[in-house]
Amino acid sequence: MSSTHQLTLPLQEAQVRALKTGDLVYLSGELVMTAGLPTHQRILACVQSGQPLPLNLAGEVLLQFGGYNREVDGRMQVVYMNPTTSTRFNPYMPTLIRKLGLRAVGGKGGLDAESARAMQESGCVYLSFPGGGCTLYSGAIREVLAVEWRDLILHYRLMRLRVENLGPGTVGIDAAGNSLYDQLAAQAAQRLPEILEQLRRARAQAAASRGAPS
Amino acid sequence: MAVTYELVKEVTARLYETSLRKIPEDTKQALRAAAGRDRSETARKTLRIMVQSAEAAERQQHFVCSDSGVPVYFVKLGTRVQLVGDFKRAIVDGFAELVRTISPPLLQHVTHPLTLERGYQGKDMPIVTYDLIDGADYVEITCSPKALGSGRWAALEIFSFPSLETIEGYVMQVILKAGSQHCPPVVIGVGIGGTFDYAAKLAKEAMLRPFGQPHAEPMVAAMEERLLKAANATGFGPMGTGGDTTAMAVHVNYAAGHGFTPVAVCFNCWINRRTRARLYNSGLVEYAE
Repeated sequence: MSSTHQLTLPLQEAQVRALKTGDLVYLSGELVMTAGLPTHQRILACVQSGQPLPLNLAGEVLLQFGGYNREVDGRMQVVYMNPTTSTRFNPYMPTLIRKLGLRAVGGKGGLDAESARAMQESGCVYLSFPGGGCTLYSGAIREVLAVEWRDLILHYRLMRLRVENLGPGTVGIDAAGNSLYDQLAAQAAQRLPEILEQLRRARAQAAASRGAPS
Repeated sequence: MAVTYELVKEVTARLYETSLRKIPEDTKQALRAAAGRDRSETARKTLRIMVQSAEAAERQQHFVCSDSGVPVYFVKLGTRVQLVGDFKRAIVDGFAELVRTISPPLLQHVTHPLTLERGYQGKDMPIVTYDLIDGADYVEITCSPKALGSGRWAALEIFSFPSLETIEGYVMQVILKAGSQHCPPVVIGVGIGGTFDYAAKLAKEAMLRPFGQPHAEPMVAAMEERLLKAANATGFGPMGTGGDTTAMAVHVNYAAGHGFTPVAVCFNCWINRRTRARLYNSGLVEYAE
């Protein structure tokens, strides 16, 4: 049985280590998000060169979410947001997880084994949010605290938001080194010979019912 | 009477907008059915969130997904249709006007493939392909916006006199490579035969076929059925976090070819963007979704 957790941000390491793959989480508090590849490259460059980031990411939750942001009456708004494919950021994540001490990364599609190792070492989890959850997730936005790197297109910018009950996200990779993505890929590869055998039998049956050689 | 520039502009923009706000009814039903059937608790929960999200977007006239993809249209022109005004221009202008007026606004997803710069416009956008329907007095337009999430996992390989075993083995290989990535449960389109370009088009058209309409030829319908079982036996499940529901449907189309047989496989993510309309000479418009 999986558990459901209501988590208040920032997350403590012990809270993160208590999460198991398959658990559901709702997040309340401040987090950072971006959907940009150039943004991840820029964060990595800052981390590696020691340059300051425009907003704090140390010990934070980083969501790989794209969001439409705009300024209305001098205040920034995020009109909507939604997860993007996290595996695009595989090359950057192990370093970012370790150096920034990220407590959770969220998006869709998971991260690779190297990122999972970094998560296990640092005490970080990966949260899967269904793509196509735009309306539900956008309803959780309470305040936009900062929108940085405005030279980038809207959904690549680095945004700091306060959310309430953002979720549910499914723990896809936990801090004990378990990754649903790696497990399921290995399981599918293991099942493949049997699946191909089932297909062969079904073809033979279909051919027999048409009176044709299989 | 005729199908005018104004009508094509208005209808193509509306098809795009509808596809962003509303998932097809058959798809909603398939997700609901899977939510009651999947043996994995995580899968059932994920499927229920998907249904909730789709219902909320429809009710609030919001977007199901923030990635509106790039505009893609499949046009079938009846040979008895009278066109007044520029047809492609109407689609280009309709999309440009939608970008200016839609609420909430769209993000920039049209990407220059050589510089990776993104905007709302680009060379050859919207992507439109044309076919003819002999004798028809209407134009049928299907809109299928495409984004990276599921678009990047499509694949094509050319075989020489392949057996069914080779063809189906390849389809499984593409499914395993896509794994958890394409926002499952997906719709899988398979195009077999013809030529390089034609097989891809066949796969796309198959993917856009409504559910519950197996291929008319029993041999192909049987292939669709066994490939659906096979796709769901992989265990990737909704959003790739495990379960019995990796695909909602597998649709196969084929065409005769030479001894070289292209096999194309493509995916639509769970929101299954797919809208269609017929525009008649009389000015009547029938929306199918």
